[in-house]
Amino acid sequence: MKHKDPHLSDQDLLLDVDGEHSAHDEKRVRAHLKACWRCRVRRDELENAISDFVHFHHGQFEAKSPPPDGPRALLKAQLAQLASAEPSQPSSWFALIHRLRWSLAISTCGVLALGLFLSHPVRHGALRPQAAIISIPDSRLTPGAALLVDQRHVCTEPNIKNKSVPVALQRKVLQEYGIEGVEPRAYEIDYLITPALGGADDIHNLWPQSHSATTWNADVKDALEDHLREMVCTGNLDLTEAQQEIASNWIAAYKKYFHTDRPLPEVR
Amino acid sequence: MSSDLTEAAVRALPIRSAADPGDRRDRLEEDVIALFDEFRDPLLRYLSSVGMAFPDCEDVIQEAFIALFRHLHHGKSHDNLRGWLFRVAHNLALKRQYRTRRDLEVPTEPGAENSAIDPAPSPEDQAAYSQTRLRLLAVVEALPEQDRRCLFLRAEGLRYREIAGILDMSLGAVSLSLTRSLVRVARRAKQCNL
Repeated sequence: MKHKDPHLSDQDLLLDVDGEHSAHDEKRVRAHLKACWRCRVRRDELENAISDFVHFHHGQFEAKSPPPDGPRALLKAQLAQLASAEPSQPSSWFALIHRLRWSLAISTCGVLALGLFLSHPVRHGALRPQAAIISIPDSRLTPGAALLVDQRHVCTEPNIKNKSVPVALQRKVLQEYGIEGVEPRAYEIDYLITPALGGADDIHNLWPQSHSATTWNADVKDALEDHLREMVCTGNLDLTEAQQEIASNWIAAYKKYFHTDRPLPEVR
Repeated sequence: MSSDLTEAAVRALPIRSAADPGDRRDRLEEDVIALFDEFRDPLLRYLSSVGMAFPDCEDVIQEAFIALFRHLHHGKSHDNLRGWLFRVAHNLALKRQYRTRRDLEVPTEPGAENSAIDPAPSPEDQAAYSQTRLRLLAVVEALPEQDRRCLFLRAEGLRYREIAGILDMSLGAVSLSLTRSLVRVARRAKQCNL
């Protein structure tokens, strides 16, 4: 006959310490603990082990952990950028889509069938993955970088719009953004802070701007850059402020300086 | 092992509603930042404990909070956001570690990832930590990776069910893993007379 240990197992004791027992098991364990000194001592040993571990674990972390201020500020900036790029009320769109799901499904099938016919490889030679539309750079990869130059220097230099970027650097930017297998001409490797405003030839100032972006495209950004440069050179805007505005969110800067929510027609 | 966060507090994380879309977005940003203030340290402690360098941990945490913003912005569930954050951060960390190993194409020996962020203690560290603490460190580092993850998640106050969900284990396996680890810690503490 198998001998049954009359005492509680370590697992039972730990479940009790952690409050993870079912009501029935909790009652059983508590009744046993009331009567059994040995199990009470063992339970205390486990609690002490937890206490030792937690002190050690937290102490080790506190000695080394970096302060939260920088990451907190970065998250705030990223959320602000995200909030301006995301549609304002997705929930209502989801609700509408949910209500109309069957009609949408049928229409989508029709559109897909038409699309498949029109984009058949026989018509175009080969299939390529579609390029993602990037209107605002990823601030972790492209926070912006500027040369140490002042307003006078910037304004005496010619307004160069499309300074060429070395091919190797272009490849590196595409790689950093995880863009693979698409037609390279789908993107222009653009300066976030334009050289005409003191922007540097640095990977942190380069990003892949989609040619397929129809609203907030390169032409719109060029117009903003010209406008900011004019303001800087006429003394109406500080150079550093112009660089910061364009680096943090160029679309928001456009809206601010052109007083509009959409690109103005003459620059599209 | 207790946590300041009770189950009720975790469930009642203050995600507010607002009629105006602009207000709603602003409040959502504030709520996500408030959650960052509350959970950044526990997440950082967990991720660094399981072998990530602090800069990588910070990147993963940023990604997790951006994912949280999108999750809430799209009107998805507000239930147990602590568990949600730990699950997302854990999965992002695994992906990142996998990518790093693949890119480096260097086979990683067990425990090597820990040594990258937690090298042999410097003389100052050695002076600061008593011999017994170093022995405790040795016990924890000798635990199998999954047991370490369980232990560190529990140390951050996660319940067994949440740990099971994050690590894709059964409740029984979580319970056994924690018992195994703590019995070892208790044995070592007894030997060292901690």
